[in-house]
Amino acid sequence: MPQFFTNKRLIILLGSIIILVALIGFSLRDRANITWPEKFVKDVTGFGQNIVSKPAGAVEEFFDDVRRLRNTYEENEKLRVHLAELAQLESDVARLEKDNAELRKVLEKEESLSDYEPVQATVIARNPDRWYELITIDQGESNGIEPDMAVMTADGLVGKVKSTSKFTSTVQLLSAHDAQNRVSALIQADTAVYGLIEGYDEEKKMLKMTKIPSDSKVKKGQSVITSGLGGVFPKGLVIGKVTDLVPDEFGLTQTALVQPAASFYDLEHVMVSKRAMTKVLPEEEDRQQVVIEEEGP
Amino acid sequence: MKKGLLPLLMIVLFYSDSVFMTFFSENAFNGAYVPVPRFFLIGLLFMSVFFDRNTAVKYGLLFGFLFDMFYTGLLGAYMFFLPLIVYVTSKLTKWLQSTLFIFFIIVLFDIALLEMMIYGLNVLVQRTEASFEQFVMIRLWPTLALNALCYILFAIPLRNAFQKFKIIFG
Repeated sequence: MPQFFTNKRLIILLGSIIILVALIGFSLRDRANITWPEKFVKDVTGFGQNIVSKPAGAVEEFFDDVRRLRNTYEENEKLRVHLAELAQLESDVARLEKDNAELRKVLEKEESLSDYEPVQATVIARNPDRWYELITIDQGESNGIEPDMAVMTADGLVGKVKSTSKFTSTVQLLSAHDAQNRVSALIQADTAVYGLIEGYDEEKKMLKMTKIPSDSKVKKGQSVITSGLGGVFPKGLVIGKVTDLVPDEFGLTQTALVQPAASFYDLEHVMVSKRAMTKVLPEEEDRQQVVIEEEGP
Repeated sequence: MKKGLLPLLMIVLFYSDSVFMTFFSENAFNGAYVPVPRFFLIGLLFMSVFFDRNTAVKYGLLFGFLFDMFYTGLLGAYMFFLPLIVYVTSKLTKWLQSTLFIFFIIVLFDIALLEMMIYGLNVLVQRTEASFEQFVMIRLWPTLALNALCYILFAIPLRNAFQKFKIIFG
């Protein structure tokens, strides 16, 4: 049997294992965004990815369209019914929006947690080894995207921006297994019930909403939306519906299983929400007042 | 001019993994199975056997690095494992005859090896909670089946392409 490793090769192997461990340690660090060499590589690779996946996406969409063509008649019937309702709804929304703006003016509260500016993006790649539930979109820092922004589809929230480069961003889906993947949410019961979306039940395909007070009355089928309290996500993005409620191991809080409104599979077009109101601290003058009060007796 | 076709082929193979993901519905089989495309690895192994081992190691290093940065964000994993697998394969094919059938077995062994190493790494860094049985049922078998199919379809064109490259590069 020939010798598998000569001395030189053994040294190379050990050296590369050390480099491997160092690099993994580096990339697992809790960091706000990736370093500039990584950004550069991402932009170059993303450029190529754009060239390859845009035509591929177009071809796929064409076949989807052909498939949809078969149910056109039924869909048309359904849509006609909806359209009749829509006119009424539209006028209602316009009236309410106007009311809201006026009332806000009265309160001198121009910005709210729910204001956001959506940025449209196309999914150009999904991590082929599918371990970390990451997707790459074709919008980056040049379009004002920053880490931790909310990402959603027309149906609801799907994830948050993990890292950005100049022209691409990586999005971590809510279904990812990551302890840092938390979203502050609320259940729309008679009084709002707050909790945290953390974790994903792989088998049931449900999100887990934890830290719900044990005395809160939550019913099945109630909607779960983002609360806007996390600091970056706007308020009011749809997450899903409560399907089950279980007490946690100590019985102090409850955990709700939430059926996600948006599908985490086969994403093509997503929206990144730039929240309008990012200030957490009160206005300059108010802040001073607070400080003086604290320094009092 | 023709020499430029080799990097081009590898770039196409590199992106083919993610393009496959565009066409493959992730909800197929109700999401019960996760077949992972490893077309680039198959191409790389053909390169190591029918073209040149050291070039294949370099390509594995470079594209593994790109894969880590662009897709997974966990630096070093593929950059280390791809060259390692190329090296192991070149040793295996020296002992065994390199007919396409024997090579088929070797390629499947390599893919299983890569999947298991990546799984082990993910358990180590706590990025997954899947047990080994779950991993084998949900990921390993479907992945092997998908890539076996790919091998059967593309083995002969790939072998011919790399044999031609060998003549071009002299």
